Amino acid sequence: MTREEIYVKLNEVFQDVFDDEDIVVNDDTTADDIEDWDSLEHINLIVAVERAFGIKFSMGETTSMKNVGAMVDIISERI
Amino acid sequence: MSLVSFNFLIFVAAVFAVYYICPVRIRQYVLVPANIVFCCFAGIYTFAFVLLSIVTTFIGGLLTGRKDAKPAAKNTVAAVVIIFNFALLCAVKFYGVMGMVEEQLNALLGASSGSWLAFAVPLGMSFYTLQLIGYVLDCLWGKTEPEKNFIKYFIFGSYFPYLTSGPMNRYDVLSAEIAREHRLSLANIRTGIIRICWGFFKKLIIAERAGVIVNAVYGDHGIYTGGYVVLGVFAFAIQLYADFSGCMDVVIGVSQLLDIRMPENFNSPYFARSIREYWRRWHITLGDYLADYLYYPLLKSAPLVKIGDVSKKALGKKKGKKVPIYVAMIILWTAIGYWHGGLWKYIIGSGLLHCFYIVSGMIAEPLFEKIRPVLKSDKLPYKLFQVLRTFVLVLLGFVFFRAADVPDAVRMLGAVFAAPAGEAAIGLGMADYIVLGVALLILTAVDLYKFRPKDTDEPRSVIKLTEGRPVLTWLVIVFLVASVLVWGMYGLGYNASSFIYASI
Repeated sequence: MTREEIYVKLNEVFQDVFDDEDIVVNDDTTADDIEDWDSLEHINLIVAVERAFGIKFSMGETTSMKNVGAMVDIISERI
Repeated sequence: MSLVSFNFLIFVAAVFAVYYICPVRIRQYVLVPANIVFCCFAGIYTFAFVLLSIVTTFIGGLLTGRKDAKPAAKNTVAAVVIIFNFALLCAVKFYGVMGMVEEQLNALLGASSGSWLAFAVPLGMSFYTLQLIGYVLDCLWGKTEPEKNFIKYFIFGSYFPYLTSGPMNRYDVLSAEIAREHRLSLANIRTGIIRICWGFFKKLIIAERAGVIVNAVYGDHGIYTGGYVVLGVFAFAIQLYADFSGCMDVVIGVSQLLDIRMPENFNSPYFARSIREYWRRWHITLGDYLADYLYYPLLKSAPLVKIGDVSKKALGKKKGKKVPIYVAMIILWTAIGYWHGGLWKYIIGSGLLHCFYIVSGMIAEPLFEKIRPVLKSDKLPYKLFQVLRTFVLVLLGFVFFRAADVPDAVRMLGAVFAAPAGEAAIGLGMADYIVLGVALLILTAVDLYKFRPKDTDEPRSVIKLTEGRPVLTWLVIVFLVASVLVWGMYGLGYNASSFIYASI
């Protein structure tokens, strides 16, 4: 899967989790950029991403990803 | 050794001198004897406990961080190390608080005198235990490489300024901070000294004075009713904040003298507009720690993911996805309350009551969304109302926290509405009230200056105002030192020897 293909799928996950069809994420997107992406929603998002790509993030990765780019790096390593 | 004592200042001065006399390369190793001496001041058993936790977590880190080991084996090692250290923590702290285990543990450890527990408990076992357990989990989760040098790990685990009261540090951050080169700088000395003096000011002038009111009112709310109860409850909020944040100022200031940066633990907490924001401003490092090591792992665990799936089917996506969050919150807040002392008054006052505030707020959120435009929630009066409301809710929790037990807290709340029993003496003279009032105004002004509406923004630093202004620097230091010497409460009849958080 190319990085572009990962982003297509990832955008769907974000739109579904945060109930917002307009969300488009990129490498630099952080929790500050999406209104509902707070500490309470973070794990919902992580679990949804894990399911969509059939991978697992370690707890270390779950709490230390700096931005969506870091998330995509891990996804592309695993699939 | 209390962090607000003459002995501690002499100890810090001695460490400071030896630290900077030694060549840069070996400076960090001065902390080895410094940490041991600090621990031993609290009793040889205390040092033994600290060392035991450090050794077990060091080995635990090496084993759980092995790349070639099977995940199941690593999980087992981590579980054994964590359970062992928690058992040690529970035995010493909570059962010690209840006075139930002293004899048994004494027999177990072969201690001849019954006094070791009294020394071990004030060291606030849980701060360093939690920090060390965090390190093992970091190794297990591949967040950090296991430390192979025991001396370096020992310095991290027993770093004396944080040992009694935090703040909670992460291994990768603090160990890197300790290991880098430390040079003597005027900026560090200036900032460190002001910070330490400010901590003494808060503790000895504000917290100790407010404590007199607190002890009187909480001691007998048969006499102190109505307005006195309100005064006592307010005074405890002031006492606890001045005490705990003052302690952090000393810890951060001492570290600054050693050119070691420590994380901030408070960010104008009483100006928070919601309970969630309050916990991002109060005891920040504990909140961050528990989010990373308890709350997130819980939410990501298979049972809670399953609960989420079921609840989404039953209640719909929007409501259903909140259910696992509520479950994790109840577990998290019970743990926070338990951590504060293992008694119901802490579990309610510092835990479940706050959980109730947050969860009920989340459930009522759709309603709030509708009425927000009507209330003009973006205007200043409404924001001030939110600050006041949050503070009152926090005060309610503090009543449970400080009262003797839960029934006592309920009686105390009832006493607010009881008829006044006439004039009651608090034990503070008019001069004390004036000193307390003025000091409180200074504290409020400092917190207001630091305050940024967004809690993730870096707070403004008051100390930075003294940068490049030697006259102002000296004026501030002389004012703080003179104030503490003249108005500090540390004479006979007052026991300013321990911080509230360091002693429970």
